[in-house]
Amino acid sequence: MNNPRKTFFSKRTILFFTCLLIIFIIIQFIRPEIKNPPVTGDLQAPAEVKTILKQACYDCHSNETQLRWFDQISPLNWRVAQHIKEGRKVLNFSEWGNLAAGDQKAKLWEAVNQIQEGAMPLKDYEMVHTSAKISANQLTTLKNYLLGTVKPSVYNDTSKINAADKQYKKWQDNQLSPDNLPVALNGITYIPDYKNWQPLSTSERFDNNTMRIIFGNDIAVKAVKNNNIHPWPNGTIFAKVAWAQIVDKDSTIHTGAFLQVEYMIKDDKKYASTGGWGFARFKTPKMVPYGKTALFANECMNCHRPMKNEDFVFTLPIKH
Amino acid sequence: MKSIKYVLLAAIVLSMYACSNTPTIAELTNPKAALPSSFNFDQLGLKAITTFVNKKQGTTSTLYGNPLALKTAIAGTNQIVAGEVFALVTWKQQTDAHWFGANIPGNLQQVEVVKSTPTIEKPLAVSYARYEGKGLTLNSDTLNNQDRIKYILSQKPAIMP
Ligand code: HEC
Ligand code: HEC
Repeated sequence: MNNPRKTFFSKRTILFFTCLLIIFIIIQFIRPEIKNPPVTGDLQAPAEVKTILKQACYDCHSNETQLRWFDQISPLNWRVAQHIKEGRKVLNFSEWGNLAAGDQKAKLWEAVNQIQEGAMPLKDYEMVHTSAKISANQLTTLKNYLLGTVKPSVYNDTSKINAADKQYKKWQDNQLSPDNLPVALNGITYIPDYKNWQPLSTSERFDNNTMRIIFGNDIAVKAVKNNNIHPWPNGTIFAKVAWAQIVDKDSTIHTGAFLQVEYMIKDDKKYASTGGWGFARFKTPKMVPYGKTALFANECMNCHRPMKNEDFVFTLPIKH
Repeated sequence: MKSIKYVLLAAIVLSMYACSNTPTIAELTNPKAALPSSFNFDQLGLKAITTFVNKKQGTTSTLYGNPLALKTAIAGTNQIVAGEVFALVTWKQQTDAHWFGANIPGNLQQVEVVKSTPTIEKPLAVSYARYEGKGLTLNSDTLNNQDRIKYILSQKPAIMP
């Protein structure tokens, strides 16, 4: 005896899967084009370092992308293409030669930190391309390479001392601050009051030979006191000031010339597209706004993103 | 096509979010560097003057001062006037767990306070006190006090336009 309902269902099921298969076949013809543009100036690094980066990063951060068969199946390859497009835009080891020496250095430290925080290679990519996973030993190799490139600040560096002295004299004469308040391209205005805020922490950066104080406004300080920093409340503002390093004869590192001040302003609605934070950077005592377009904040976000669980904040505030 | 991508993306982002743990307050702050709240440091009303790192000792310090102390420090006369307060907070350095390339304050080591107060006998008396360790207990040893006062007063403020 036939059960009419059962046949009905199996027919529908067959129809459903046939449709799916047809759709799947059709979308195979909708494929993004992934080309490999010429390599103009490849990263120069020791072989053991380069091997690691090639194996784990070059698919998205170079012009030597090697697609596996499973990367080429739609709709997976739509995502793959998107990753490659975005990945190359922010970091391209094949066009490394286009970057200034300082930027190359900064990108490499950023790269190793993204690996350490588990942000790179992208997790969904790593799941499929298991050989891209970076082992603890490989991470140590990368870190040791970077440590080998560190040039500590030295005693009696006259150009650094002169630069600081020049600024200092102007500062004493009240001639250093800008006459008006510069505005960053995303509309954030320079806040001169940062120096009256409380320091939440400090940082000695040996990757780029700077000294930093991270200040917090009253809302930030209160939030720290009340353990109310996850997420940080709206109205929180951080100001991070960076100085060059000056070393005295006792190997003590002091602050030298003022380099820049950076802000993060919390407003979860206004700045929803950048993690709830408004980013701005003002360089030199003239407070020249950083960035060519308002999209500069994406650059800030790309480096702060691994701190997502910490509300995008690196600093561990010190209770005073 | 676009919407499929976004649904996929949202699913992935959501699942990543669900799997990540929320850090505790101890993990979000720097408890070993904290000053005991009983010390009431915030009630001194001080501002940052500068920060420096002693590589030999592996320590990092932040110098604070009241507005008057900051003003005379910027002027750079090395001449103390009545009513100045300086506080030098020193920590052992630790590597920054979040950034390979940075050292940040670790265990709290000491707080030194220099005050210039007029007394009945003298128009200007400079006092020095050192508080040590996690609990900031007063150390009444006076051996190096004059040197330390000199050192603290000789610090050049960090340039903050
Ligand atoms: C599957 C593609 C993919 C792989 C593989 C990959 N990345 Fe990325 N990477 C991206 C994308 C997309 C971005 C941009 C936005 C983001 O962070 O998601 C990015 C951003 C970055 C950034 C931020 C760049 C900036 O300045 O804005 C760094 C650094 C980085 N990746 C390093 C690495 C390193 C190192 C590896 C190898 C260990 C790696 N990536 C592997 C796709 C990838
Ligand atoms: C290459 C990585 C990187 C980039 C890019 C970056 N930051 Fe940061 N930022 C850090 C690190 C690391 C810290 C922690 C403090 C330190 O050691 O300097 C930090 C800290 C901060 C802080 C203090 C609060 C906190 O999160 O700890 C502010 C404010 C800040 N950054 C603003 C900015 C702005 C504005 C931009 C973009 C113009 C930016 N950052 C781009 C790495 C980065």
